[in-house]
Amino acid sequence: MKKILIIEDDEVIRDELASLLQNSGYNSFIIYNFENAINEILEIKPDLVLLDINIPYINGELLLQNLRKKSNVPVIMVTSRNQESDEVLSMSYGADDYITKPYNPNILLLRIAAVLKRTGNNNDILIYKDLDINMQKGIIKREDIEVILTKNEMIIFNYLLTHQNKIVTRDELMTDLWNNNEYINDNALTVNISRLRSKLKSVGYENAIETRKGIGYILS
Amino acid sequence: MSLKKFLNDKLYLIIIFLVIYIVLLLMFLAFKIDKSLILVTSVILFVFIIVILSIEYFRRKDFYTNLLSNIEKLDKAYLVLETINKPNFYDGEILCQALYEVNKSMMEFINSIESQMNDFKEYIEMWIHEVKIPIASLVLMTHNNSSILDKKYEEQIKKLENYVEQVLYYARSENAEKDYLINEVSLNKIISNVALKNKDDLLENKIDLIVLNVEYKIYTDSKWLEFIINQIINNSIKYKRKIRNSYVKIDTHDYEDKIILTIEDNGIGIQPSDIRKVFDKTFTGKNGRIMTKSTGMGLFIAKNLCQKLGHKIEIESTENKYTKVSIIISKNRYYEVLK
Repeated sequence: MKKILIIEDDEVIRDELASLLQNSGYNSFIIYNFENAINEILEIKPDLVLLDINIPYINGELLLQNLRKKSNVPVIMVTSRNQESDEVLSMSYGADDYITKPYNPNILLLRIAAVLKRTGNNNDILIYKDLDINMQKGIIKREDIEVILTKNEMIIFNYLLTHQNKIVTRDELMTDLWNNNEYINDNALTVNISRLRSKLKSVGYENAIETRKGIGYILS
Repeated sequence: MSLKKFLNDKLYLIIIFLVIYIVLLLMFLAFKIDKSLILVTSVILFVFIIVILSIEYFRRKDFYTNLLSNIEKLDKAYLVLETINKPNFYDGEILCQALYEVNKSMMEFINSIESQMNDFKEYIEMWIHEVKIPIASLVLMTHNNSSILDKKYEEQIKKLENYVEQVLYYARSENAEKDYLINEVSLNKIISNVALKNKDDLLENKIDLIVLNVEYKIYTDSKWLEFIINQIINNSIKYKRKIRNSYVKIDTHDYEDKIILTIEDNGIGIQPSDIRKVFDKTFTGKNGRIMTKSTGMGLFIAKNLCQKLGHKIEIESTENKYTKVSIIISKNRYYEVLK
């Protein structure tokens, strides 16, 4: 399980964020002592740090600068300041991403996943049973049967795969699609899922995607 | 300065002079003084009064004509004292001194108001950052408890967030010296952020978002432009028509020296009599009054921010058909050379 370290001084946000991350399959850690933050980070060895800019004792930007001298751990800056200059400054100090409060939790999770993937720290290889998956070309293959997925179907399948055996809500799928600049509506999502279903069926996986009424879908 | 009015002002002097002259003349006649002497004395006296009046007139004429014309020419009339020569007559000096004192006290007053405004703006900015923390907590809490909480909680929080954002950008747009940073940014990313922000509202209202060709790099402040586009899309959602295929269409047109970003909807549109006023402060118009509570600030702030960024914003609409907002972003050769 990926370790994510939360550096945030607001208790409510800190705890809610921790439970959000736990629920999404990450192992979350919290720092309570900001004076000694760098050493704690180095000790915990997280896969990713969520760093608030306004923390006591040491400014988040300063902390990031100091941290970069010792470690290349991916850092996402989180702040309620939303000036362009703050973002540019943070990125120049070596942040991997920058997100402003209040953020949409689903988007935060997508950003975390993206950073983990980009920094190569994500060794979850996408596997589904005996299926041969070619993300780039959008092709799934099993034995001699090859099926081409559209971009939307691939995004949905990819999301379901990374959350295998967990319930995925329609909103999560929608957020991921929109995040990939596919601004589809509810009907289109339903159509895309049923097409994906029948394509999976054609390679021999019938009922791979189950519907949980009122909640979402699950790939099992 | 008109001669007629000047003479009118000096009428008392002329009358006294004439009275004295007549008395003198009568005395001369009574003493039977030689006529040629009377003539010479009269000429001297008249030359004397004319010279005095002319000197008085011309000294003032130059000064006042200059003063008035400079006041007219300056866009900041209160700076006029710096542009005129010191007068060489006493009442002019008093006037200048008085103007100087009045100016000074006005400046001090304005400065104190300005610093009050700056303090207030700083406080607002700080307050907004503070208030965002509980909002962020609420967002996380509703998300973590989404199985037991209704979606309406999230909607209300989102509204709260939008209003707070509006205050922030209002404070910035009214009073921004260096709050923005022009950078090369991806238009696609800006659109994507705005789209994600409005995803729930768009889906809820069954409005299709159609994004065409937006793969451009532009020079702008991405946060500000995001806010501007967000205001426009908020309006499209607010003023949609109750029809089946509502949409918001975002497209660009690429010209040699500019990129025009258009955001078009097929909503209720804007009345012809209202359209020229939609960018005015607190203007709500027919739609704002009938449809929903409107503050009339969104487009006003958007236009203000556009001006600061050097973009142009235009709107066209036909009632019950469509509304189309265009943002004109110039391509800056300067930045291209810099690269």
